[in-house]
Amino acid sequence: MELLIKNGAVYDPINGIEGDKKDISIKDGKIVDKVSSKASVIDAGGRLVMPGGVDAHSHIAGAKVNMGRVMRPEDTRAGIKPRTKITRPYTGYTVPNVYAMGYRYAQMGYTTVFEAAQAIMKARHTHEELEEIPIIDKGALTLFGSNWPTMDFVREKNLDKLAAYVAWGLLASRGFGIKCVNPGGGEMWGFGKNVTGLDDVVPNFEVTPREIILSLMKVNEMLGLPHSLHLHCNNLGKPGNYRTTLASMELANQVKPSKDRQVMHVTHITFNAMGGTNWGDMESKADEIANFLNNSENVTTDMGQLIFGSATTMTADGPAQYANAKLTRAKWGNGDVELEDASGVVPFFYARQSSVFSIMWAIGLELALLTKDPYKVLLTTDHPNGGPFVNYPEVIALLMSNKKRQEEIKTLHEAVHKRTKIPGIERELDFSDIVIMTRAGSSKILGLLDTKGHLGAGADADVAIYDLKPDQIDPSVEHAKIKSAFASAAYTIKGGEIVVKDGQITATPMGRTFWVNASVPDEHTEVMMKDIRLKFKNYYSINLANYMVQDAYITHPNVVRAGLIPVEVS
Amino acid sequence: MQTVNISPKTEIEISVEAENISPDKFAGKTEKEIQSIEVWMGNKRVSLGDLFSVRVEGSGAPADVKIVMEGDFSRVKRIGEGMTAGLIIIKGNADMHLGAKMNGGKITVAGNVDSWAGREMKGGEIIIEGNAGYYLGSGYRGETCGMRGGKITVMGSALDYVGEHMCGGEITVKGDAGILPGLSNNGGKIMIEGNTSRPGSEMTKGTIIINGIVEEMVPVFKSEGTEAVDGVTYRKYTGDVVLGGKGVMYVK
Repeated sequence: MELLIKNGAVYDPINGIEGDKKDISIKDGKIVDKVSSKASVIDAGGRLVMPGGVDAHSHIAGAKVNMGRVMRPEDTRAGIKPRTKITRPYTGYTVPNVYAMGYRYAQMGYTTVFEAAQAIMKARHTHEELEEIPIIDKGALTLFGSNWPTMDFVREKNLDKLAAYVAWGLLASRGFGIKCVNPGGGEMWGFGKNVTGLDDVVPNFEVTPREIILSLMKVNEMLGLPHSLHLHCNNLGKPGNYRTTLASMELANQVKPSKDRQVMHVTHITFNAMGGTNWGDMESKADEIANFLNNSENVTTDMGQLIFGSATTMTADGPAQYANAKLTRAKWGNGDVELEDASGVVPFFYARQSSVFSIMWAIGLELALLTKDPYKVLLTTDHPNGGPFVNYPEVIALLMSNKKRQEEIKTLHEAVHKRTKIPGIERELDFSDIVIMTRAGSSKILGLLDTKGHLGAGADADVAIYDLKPDQIDPSVEHAKIKSAFASAAYTIKGGEIVVKDGQITATPMGRTFWVNASVPDEHTEVMMKDIRLKFKNYYSINLANYMVQDAYITHPNVVRAGLIPVEVS
Repeated sequence: MQTVNISPKTEIEISVEAENISPDKFAGKTEKEIQSIEVWMGNKRVSLGDLFSVRVEGSGAPADVKIVMEGDFSRVKRIGEGMTAGLIIIKGNADMHLGAKMNGGKITVAGNVDSWAGREMKGGEIIIEGNAGYYLGSGYRGETCGMRGGKITVMGSALDYVGEHMCGGEITVKGDAGILPGLSNNGGKIMIEGNTSRPGSEMTKGTIIINGIVEEMVPVFKSEGTEAVDGVTYRKYTGDVVLGGKGVMYVK
């Protein structure tokens, strides 16, 4: 099957293309240099053409997403769309059903999305949902930060065993990378407590968050995983937590990357860049985080942009969610995953009149606008924590138009003037910056740049065409047009197939699930498994034989190989 | 002024989702146009004209529309959903979700209504001359805010959970109310003339006045002595203290 996209205004920063008139040739699901005269033709007519969107941090599948659905029947009532001949029914806004997840991402021009947290023990559930999400390619990061074996091996300072455990855990969960959420805090939460900083000692394990983060980072590079450590910092959602975030980011300087990418990805900065000492004097410290990023090559971040209105916060950070539920008197769902982590789900309503939410809204935008290199800040809403992913076009419009930001600021709490810097920031991002923050950058950060995030020959034929002519629009003024165009792609092409036309789903092929198979020496695995068997015998509620996700759960796998190489520690 | 008369052609056995019966949807429309409005009956799409005989006199804006419904509508749900103005007179019974999410206008029912009447309503008035079912003026499953404004009056009795999760507005039940009226209330006023049991638990704001007998009190209220409301002396309670609530309850 051949397809030719003619006359597009192509943005492909990886290949140095910025709005040039160019044709894109597609054959058998890949971008190629040219196609035969038999190819079917799409005339882009000068409209914006870019790679399909890649989201490196979203919560689209698994136990806590489903807990959100169970807890929020009222959310299911929003966004209902009956089935058609092509699509199955849509439900929900903050916690959509599996079908709506795939359709809505595709309708925005996104073709690849990563679930940001799965516990190994709950991975089967994650994959059961991923298998039902249509169109998009996906994968899931696996939680290791508060797992008992992780903390044991960190205390023993045995990185070989830890690497063997990570490799085995990725296999068991069919996971893509290492996620570390509030390291140590998940275990402390089992005792109704939390860690308060990098050097608190986790009882019974005698390790600190600092040691856990460093060890997982080193192991990540030992194994040469495509993605880096993906860190949700300690003290999330607490005034003054920017110091913890900066101290965590400093740790990245101690490890050298095994690949051309960061060694630490710090996620949803909106919740982790708060100054002040309490909710009354809380202020934005996004400028300090941006300043760090401008002087470091080892760390990347994503925004976790707050969107006003309804959200459902869900995270493996159990203690933070307990605090949130108490603070807002909201519904609270708590999950305990035995030896592996905790989780919490709390519905939120982000009101414009609130000083705290107005400041948090500013944090995400400040981070993106004050960080010079767009490759260091991805555009996310930490769906559905900051807000549902369908609001990405709103965030794009905010980043591209100072006028829109000033209009928004007028509707917010006055604290946004005194305790953030956003009113004085005039920078407006261009289409290349947006392509980087939503495609090229996320692919680079995930380590998928060979096939995702660009339109060079050999890349996956994932392409989005938007109803915008870059040479005829001033995004700064016409921000409403920008928002509506990015909300509804003129075409989304996934693996060479047209899946969206004029914002409507036209086909629903199944995407692939990416996971990493990392090899370690057998003797390391054997030593490690002795400990694991003991854990299952003494503590787990299930048998080791029932633990591992079978291949039957991943019917469209895309296995990425990785393996042990020597680590350079400076 | 536009008057629309509606009556069932035959007995309706399969429930009808009739959110399209409202002054906003009928305003300015001819008999033919109203007859062709689609509704769901079970899993089938039908037109109003298939189920009801429809007569229209005059034409007008929603505020000038009067819908007179004669007969038994006890299998017709969601009448007047989201209406903003006008009048609906039901000379019979009505099914669930009567006047749900309504914003303005008035609905009167001569008979009984099923559960969820006035669900999440924001304004306007509902008068029920018979009895009401469960969850009168409440929020639907999972909602944190039920009725937010407007007024509901029930001449007869209501079943359990009157005004659950209510955030504003006013509900009066002339007869008895089932268990747990005002559950999880966060505003508004509930007046129960008859008897009830376990009122106001989990309330954080709002007022509940009970003239009849309270069979059982949930032990989460603080006694505040007595206070006169409109010349009647009540025992006053505040709570739910477990939640640090500031709700007020008056019991005779």
